Amino acid sequence: MVAKGQKRKLHGEDEGGGSAWESQLQSVLDISMDKFHRDQALVEPCLLRSVLINNTLRQVQSEVRAQVESLSAVNIPTKLKPEPDFPQLSPPAEHNAPLFSANAENTEDEFMAWTSEEDFSLSSAISAILKDLDTVIDAGQGPCASQRAPLSSLENLTQYPLRTERTSDIASSIKTEVMSPGCPQDGALDKFLLDIDASVFEPEVNLLQGFSVTADDLVKYLPSLSKSPSASSSSSLVSHSQATWEIQELEHVMDILMRTYPQS
Amino acid sequence: MAGVGGGNDFQWCFSQVKGAIDEDVAEADIISTVEFNYSGELLATGDKGGRVVIFQREQESKNRPLSRGEYNVYSTFQSHEPEFDYLKSLEIEEKINKIRWLPQQNAAHFLLSANDKTIKLWKISERDKRAEGYNLKDEDGRLRDQFRITTLRVPVLMPMDLMVEASPRRIFANAHTYHINSISVNSDYETYLSADDLRINLWHLEITDRSFNIVDIKPANMEELTEVITAAECHPHQCNVFVYSSSKGTIRLCDMRSAALCDRHSKFFEEPEDPSSRSFFSEIISSISDVKFSHSGRYMMTRDYLSVKVWDLNMENRPVETYQVHEYLRSKLCSLYENDCIFDKFECCWSGSDSAIMTGSYNNFFRMFDRNTRRDITLEASRENSKPRAMLKPRKVCTGGKRKKDEISVDSLDFNKKILHTAWHPKENVIAVAATNNLYIFQDKIN
Repeated sequence: MVAKGQKRKLHGEDEGGGSAWESQLQSVLDISMDKFHRDQALVEPCLLRSVLINNTLRQVQSEVRAQVESLSAVNIPTKLKPEPDFPQLSPPAEHNAPLFSANAENTEDEFMAWTSEEDFSLSSAISAILKDLDTVIDAGQGPCASQRAPLSSLENLTQYPLRTERTSDIASSIKTEVMSPGCPQDGALDKFLLDIDASVFEPEVNLLQGFSVTADDLVKYLPSLSKSPSASSSSSLVSHSQATWEIQELEHVMDILMRTYPQS
Repeated sequence: MAGVGGGNDFQWCFSQVKGAIDEDVAEADIISTVEFNYSGELLATGDKGGRVVIFQREQESKNRPLSRGEYNVYSTFQSHEPEFDYLKSLEIEEKINKIRWLPQQNAAHFLLSANDKTIKLWKISERDKRAEGYNLKDEDGRLRDQFRITTLRVPVLMPMDLMVEASPRRIFANAHTYHINSISVNSDYETYLSADDLRINLWHLEITDRSFNIVDIKPANMEELTEVITAAECHPHQCNVFVYSSSKGTIRLCDMRSAALCDRHSKFFEEPEDPSSRSFFSEIISSISDVKFSHSGRYMMTRDYLSVKVWDLNMENRPVETYQVHEYLRSKLCSLYENDCIFDKFECCWSGSDSAIMTGSYNNFFRMFDRNTRRDITLEASRENSKPRAMLKPRKVCTGGKRKKDEISVDSLDFNKKILHTAWHPKENVIAVAATNNLYIFQDKIN
């Protein structure tokens, strides 16, 4: 199950190559999302676990983006505008060699063998995954203060009589820190998504080829509207605004879905 | 390593098993740490219920030559209780994460036990005499009527049944925001360090209201956190040196003489990644779950998910030895990620002479590697092999193709039976292996 890059063969010969990578990616994404959500629900999740899962999610995100970039670059150069620089997802010098860089090169070489339909389906599916990731990650960063994000500060040093010799940033440690696992600036992401020309999602193109993401799958990634807040009244007010915000997000995603997967 | 005999091969035999036989394992009984003391006379275990059980080795006697050095219960006490942090609405588990013995300096024994937040220093002492003949009170403790006291007498010490008492002498609390993963006694026998996910503190054994923070990797913005501390240990001889490992597979060696705050390491140990084996799980499986110095102090050993590596402290760019523990799991990483087994934290340990190393695996298997002969062996801790002095049969995992007799296939492994904690007697070839709620003790037949 190691996700080694598989050389994409000529269309018709081995369609399993690309979809094997996709299914691997999808599995890792599904599992990571599930764990991420479960950890969000805990009052005090394990920090090591959270960091490892978040790093895995970041890695999935960067792999998907690398694929989108490579596909978009050869896809329809005239239609797609140049993409903006991606902000660093991880601290400098942390980013390892992309997992599928070799695969991307092969993809470019053999691009002409692919039909344009498959590329549309792949890039739109990958964009959908990206959108899911960011929607979920944004949900984790929501304004609800009663829900503790896994990496938020647990400190409250001034409450204890213990004196530690190093008292750096006690003041900064008191304010609540909300974690967003690898989510870049929202503005840059929105800009990227807007740059993808909407004509890519023409309804007459068969976009269901080669990818198994359904509307249900995408919806399940969205923040749960039925999540019950804690009993305090202040947090119920906060969760109400969060629910409103979530409904707006849901509508936005549903719009995209309606355009990409036309009603039969 | 076993069976052929001769040379330095070990022949491991079953000695004892401690713990309940029930199929239903109470969560509180799950052993969470195992540690021999400096002489090997005492063996301590901690469990998820916050209890510490100490076993003492029987003196060898001519009357029973066959029961050579059995370990029997010496003391049991409740070290930590569950707590509730009202400020943060968090429950603090009573599970004992680590036990470390102090070197013995008088008749009493001392150990440090740590849960997620608090470290306690326990004194274990024996009482085998009792004073009798008090002037002011009767033998049952009642005060005597004063007008009945007509003479003075000196109380006499009389022998009594041995009583082992454990009393908490120090409580080191409120110094860790995150969960404590390691404690390590320094070679100066005055200080010790405690490490949590983001910080390492240095304590003096006599002082409980203050600790010195020597490593802090918490970023100013928690969103930038990508790496945590997973283990730390003091050097066995140089009291100014310690190491700590990270979730990214790196080890940093720090010298406390160079700066008061050891955020900058003196040495940085990391093996370059093999690009051909890179996967989504590369980082997770590179996370180091345990780091241990050799007794000599020249080497250190690290355990990550699939392997054990021995490092020479003088060479930072790669380990000198790498041993595969269960490479057959590499193709199963996605499933192991899904069922959380990939996050299991296995420990490792050195033999007394540093010639062999041991670590645990799944299905109640544990692995031993002889560093000189490069031979390795897989053994199993199970009730089936628990006849007294029965020699352990080597086990083998079949990775594909035809499964031979006595082999077990990868898909039949029981991932709920994991051996995370093992310990090796400091002087003899006696090992203690914790299998969920049971403690197995094996001895080398040659001795």
